[in-house]
Amino acid sequence: MSDTATLSPPEVASPPESPQAAVAPTAALPPTMPRRRELIFGTVFVAAGVAMALLTLIGSYLATRDAAGAAWLADNQLALTQPNMQMLTLGMSVVTMQWAVWSICRDDRYHTYLAIGVTMLLGIAFVNQSTFLFKEAGIAITQPEGPLFYAVTLGHLAMVIAGLVFLLLMAFRTLGGQYSSRQPDGIGAAAVFWYAGVALYAVIWFAVYIQK
Amino acid sequence: MTLTDTRSSSDTPPAAAGSLSPTALERVIGTGEHEAIGRTFIMGSLLLMAVSAGALATGALRSLSNGGPLDVTDNLWNSALVGMVLMGAIPLLLGLAICLIPLQVGSKAIAFPRAAALSLWTWLVSAVIFAISLGLDGGVGGADLEASRLGMLSMGSMMVALSLGAVCVATTVLSHRPVGMSLARVPFFSWSMLVAAPIWILTFGSTTAHVFLGQISQANAAGLALRYEVGVAWFLRAPTVYMLAIPVLGISCDLVAQGCGRRMARYGTVQAMIAMFGVFSFGAWTQTSGGRENILWIAFVVLGAVPVLGLLGLIADTLRHRKPVVSPGLVGVLLAFLLLLGGMLAGILEALNTTGSGTLFSFEAAGLGWAQSLFLLSAAFIGGLSALSAWSRVVLRASAPGAIASAAIAAGLIGGGLLATVFLIQGLTGFGLNLSFYNVWVAVAAAVLALSALLGLMLALVTSRGHARQPASAGAAGLTLEWAQDELSPEDQALVMRTIVASPYPLLDFRFTGEAVEEDK
Repeated sequence: MSDTATLSPPEVASPPESPQAAVAPTAALPPTMPRRRELIFGTVFVAAGVAMALLTLIGSYLATRDAAGAAWLADNQLALTQPNMQMLTLGMSVVTMQWAVWSICRDDRYHTYLAIGVTMLLGIAFVNQSTFLFKEAGIAITQPEGPLFYAVTLGHLAMVIAGLVFLLLMAFRTLGGQYSSRQPDGIGAAAVFWYAGVALYAVIWFAVYIQK
Repeated sequence: MTLTDTRSSSDTPPAAAGSLSPTALERVIGTGEHEAIGRTFIMGSLLLMAVSAGALATGALRSLSNGGPLDVTDNLWNSALVGMVLMGAIPLLLGLAICLIPLQVGSKAIAFPRAAALSLWTWLVSAVIFAISLGLDGGVGGADLEASRLGMLSMGSMMVALSLGAVCVATTVLSHRPVGMSLARVPFFSWSMLVAAPIWILTFGSTTAHVFLGQISQANAAGLALRYEVGVAWFLRAPTVYMLAIPVLGISCDLVAQGCGRRMARYGTVQAMIAMFGVFSFGAWTQTSGGRENILWIAFVVLGAVPVLGLLGLIADTLRHRKPVVSPGLVGVLLAFLLLLGGMLAGILEALNTTGSGTLFSFEAAGLGWAQSLFLLSAAFIGGLSALSAWSRVVLRASAPGAIASAAIAAGLIGGGLLATVFLIQGLTGFGLNLSFYNVWVAVAAAVLALSALLGLMLALVTSRGHARQPASAGAAGLTLEWAQDELSPEDQALVMRTIVASPYPLLDFRFTGEAVEEDK
């Protein structure tokens, strides 16, 4: 059955015209639902591809940094306070994201909206913190470390922004009644992508900022 | 929505109503129908494969005219190889998968149809841009900076587009199966694409990162060429290049079972072997110089041959039990398997050379590496052509003319086999022999390969335009669900779709209702 067909609302049965029709077995098909876990599977594959790209960039960053030795970022101040706060922010967002999944699975719409809202707020805070970090570090794209540093950090920032857009879209769909305990896949898929983004930041936090 | 102001039927003239229906071009561009997307992928890939192989022949002729050895660092050579993989073999297999796999798993639609369409058009536009950039001395490793940037960017776009298509295919296999069709019962081609898709996604994710790095670092033309060599070219070498041939394993097993009209024995073992081959084709860890030519690399290259040999044994066993209905598709896929074995042999020789370099063996590793890549590329291409011929009644809605199919497959075998064999000989004997002789053979082989792609395109065009849907009398009867629309009446199709799948061969079960459907152990 096509996706379009599965997403359409079930047909409303006509009222019976006779007593015989009232007891006769109906020929109508049972109401159809979107295919379970389709969006989750798709998101897992996309997240895997994005993760592979970012891990490759991180690997290149580490290899180049090892080759450069002590000269790497010698002219820049890369304080740990900001990356730590960013890690904490994303760490908290994991809890609120799971809160959203938990709530939609129990048809608790109020808490679903609240959890998605808080998660998005934390995500926006992360974006803000990243821009502040870039200004504080003052790494120019023209210096040798610049392209790799920004490829890793901006690449991840793009992933977080994509996660925010995904979450916003799923929030609107939830508001429209598309997701519920019977079909929570949209929120679950957004959560999978978000968790992948947080896990990747944990790697970046350790490899780029802690190890310097 | 409630309509409060209705318009009388006489207000709308018939001509205006007719103008609302989409034109043929609009239908092609705007379609989300998986069969149309798959067919466009197939035809585009065959045309672009011919262009890429033609560029390869031109590169060899250029080396010949310069009087020097075949320059494998030449941008025409590298771009042509990238083109044959990203514009030819992989899109051909992906197009077949987009067209066939929803039907194989009993679904009328692919997962994320708009994403599949986006994948097609992004790939097609990027491939055309890549070909244009090559014409402007760009492509990969070109001398012109702007054209090289364009070439790298379009190559990255092709990889992203193909990954997106692979996401749609893998998701379809995972989530669109009918009741009773567990993963252990999906047809082999679907299973092989489920194995191949994650490998393609991960590999292209990694290579795209290097393309991105090349763009952001504002490298000059030489820097971009180095970025390609260091960060991208590894996907054309062992063990990653094995990923091209994963779907060929599935196609082989499906076509052999269909040709023999018999269930494939040890279904789970076959699936495990295809999965094992997929595992050994994951080679993102070999992209650094230290990652290659160590014990792990040798193990991956050698162990990759084990599932191929195992599958060959199981296929031979199936053929031994019942004489198959011979068709160009079946013969072609068996020949593709031979090329695959050639690739495995070249890989094992390369691994042996690495183990005993300078003591036991003194082969030329580069030549063996190129031989392996070309064997596997040719196997993937011929496997795709054979599948197109064998499944033409499903994919192109008519039986493919046997003469054109045979000619296309034969030309592909000669061209691809010759091309790879030239490098195998070079690898075994060293590069110091008659260089002009090699250049001539490479040029001839590439030209024959281009001819094979054009014949494949002709096959697709002639079959899809020149024939109405034909009765199912021609060829072997289908065993899996994709044949239902071709071979069964609408009533029987509906019955099959409502029946709980009890084995990997639902159509065979349907034909022999009452026969035991337990899988062969």
